[in-house]
Amino acid sequence: MQQLLNGIFIGSIYALFAIGFTLVFGILDRLNLAHPAVFAASAFVGIELVERGGLSLWAALPLVFVVGGVLGLLIERLAFRPLKGRADAHFAGLISSIALAGMLIALLQWRYGPDTRRFPPGSFPDTRFEVFGAQVTLVQVVILAVSLALMVGLTYMVTRTRLGRGMRAVAENPTAARVLGVDVDRVTAVTFAISSALGAVAGVLFAINVNTAQLGMGAAIELKGLAVIIVGGMGSLPGALIGGLLLGLAEVFAVQYIGSSWIDVIAFGLLFVILLLRPQGLLGARKVREV
Amino acid sequence: MSDPILTVEDLRVTYGRVEAVRSVSFRAEPGSLVTLVGANGAGKSSVINAVSGLLRPAGGRITFEGQDITRTPAHKLVGRGLVQVPEGRQILATLTIEENLQMGGWHSGNGGAGSIDAMYDRFPVLAERRALPAGALSGGEQQMLAIARALVAGPKVMLMDEPSMGLAPKIVDEVFRVIEEIRASGTTVVLVEQNARRALRAADHGYVMASGEVVHSGRAADLLADERIVQAYLGVESGS
Repeated sequence: MQQLLNGIFIGSIYALFAIGFTLVFGILDRLNLAHPAVFAASAFVGIELVERGGLSLWAALPLVFVVGGVLGLLIERLAFRPLKGRADAHFAGLISSIALAGMLIALLQWRYGPDTRRFPPGSFPDTRFEVFGAQVTLVQVVILAVSLALMVGLTYMVTRTRLGRGMRAVAENPTAARVLGVDVDRVTAVTFAISSALGAVAGVLFAINVNTAQLGMGAAIELKGLAVIIVGGMGSLPGALIGGLLLGLAEVFAVQYIGSSWIDVIAFGLLFVILLLRPQGLLGARKVREV
Repeated sequence: MSDPILTVEDLRVTYGRVEAVRSVSFRAEPGSLVTLVGANGAGKSSVINAVSGLLRPAGGRITFEGQDITRTPAHKLVGRGLVQVPEGRQILATLTIEENLQMGGWHSGNGGAGSIDAMYDRFPVLAERRALPAGALSGGEQQMLAIARALVAGPKVMLMDEPSMGLAPKIVDEVFRVIEEIRASGTTVVLVEQNARRALRAADHGYVMASGEVVHSGRAADLLADERIVQAYLGVESGS
């Protein structure tokens, strides 16, 4: 039971990270490889806000959300918009976003040095609950609640609101969207902002969960995030949620029953098997592309 | 004669080095139906896309309600009442029919709830299936949806690009009936068609295009009555 819950907590963070990743892919057909750097940067920003700003953990979350949104706007402006309309925009966007990620990580290293950083002592409330005989901290409950709330909110936004309709219109057919009066550049920028805001909150929640922020944490979650969105079905929001939870559970059970050195073998092996059985991913539709 | 609601002067459109539109001028009086006809590749669609702001003209001047819109992007024109029904319909197949209509009211912010109900009254086939993905509709129904979606935007000028393309003759009749209704309601219509005779019969004014230029223009009835124009540019009457 304890392992099941731990798997869900870490899995919800993976899912939140991956859902931001897949949002940009699903709507704009672009892979933003600066997303993991936003994840890492916001963990440091979160710690800084608590340590120097004297904020509580919970007050830091909405600020990190905003910081992530601004980073998303910058990424779109610097790494993607200048390439718009080029024949090789897909590949060029990958490279330019990797470059931007490298710069962001270098800035973090310059500011914080290479060492692991932690939240100041006493940042965490020590409230604990017992759930079905397992120990759960208040912090873990909040992590799960925040992740789920953001994912549900995002899904509602995409499926039910005017902005969400505009995003789906741009996803399916940018020319049709323009004909209907949609400012495609603006919807694109907003999509990046939302995506990065979610990745940023995922980063700070991850740092809270393990009380650690490291320069390499973005690189560590990058492959996991990619695996999750591929397994979930590229561009599928619920797919990313399920994929993230599956990965979290697989990791935790691998540690418990096989040994921690096997963690990636088991987790990625499982994802590999899923893809063999369902190449389009769990919830991926076979997209018909019209030219 | 009142001031034209739309004027195009010396329009030039290029794709790289290819000149698709050399020098095209036309005008539309408020409430009139103007048609650009001509063979495939004459540059008709390029003219429409330049007017609607999808393409940036290489030269010339376009005015709408007296204001220069030559370089105004599409998303700023829809809200001002210059609305396009694009070639190939461009239905959003994964969105529902209702969502497509709501997208027509994008610029008004509220999804155009009132006019969507009006569209359901006018096109009952859309009302019955409002919750289905628009991709489930037949070609003719998709064309009706594309027109209804443009009407939700509240157009003063409606630019229609090949609305009869790929449709069965019976459906074409229906499309033209709807076009005439739109015009009768006071909306100016600029119609681009390969089905030249049909378009000229419906229009007040016609412009015949060939190789990126206007080669003849005049009252639509006069163009239709001119044997040489009919023979040279409009081809042989096919059945109807």
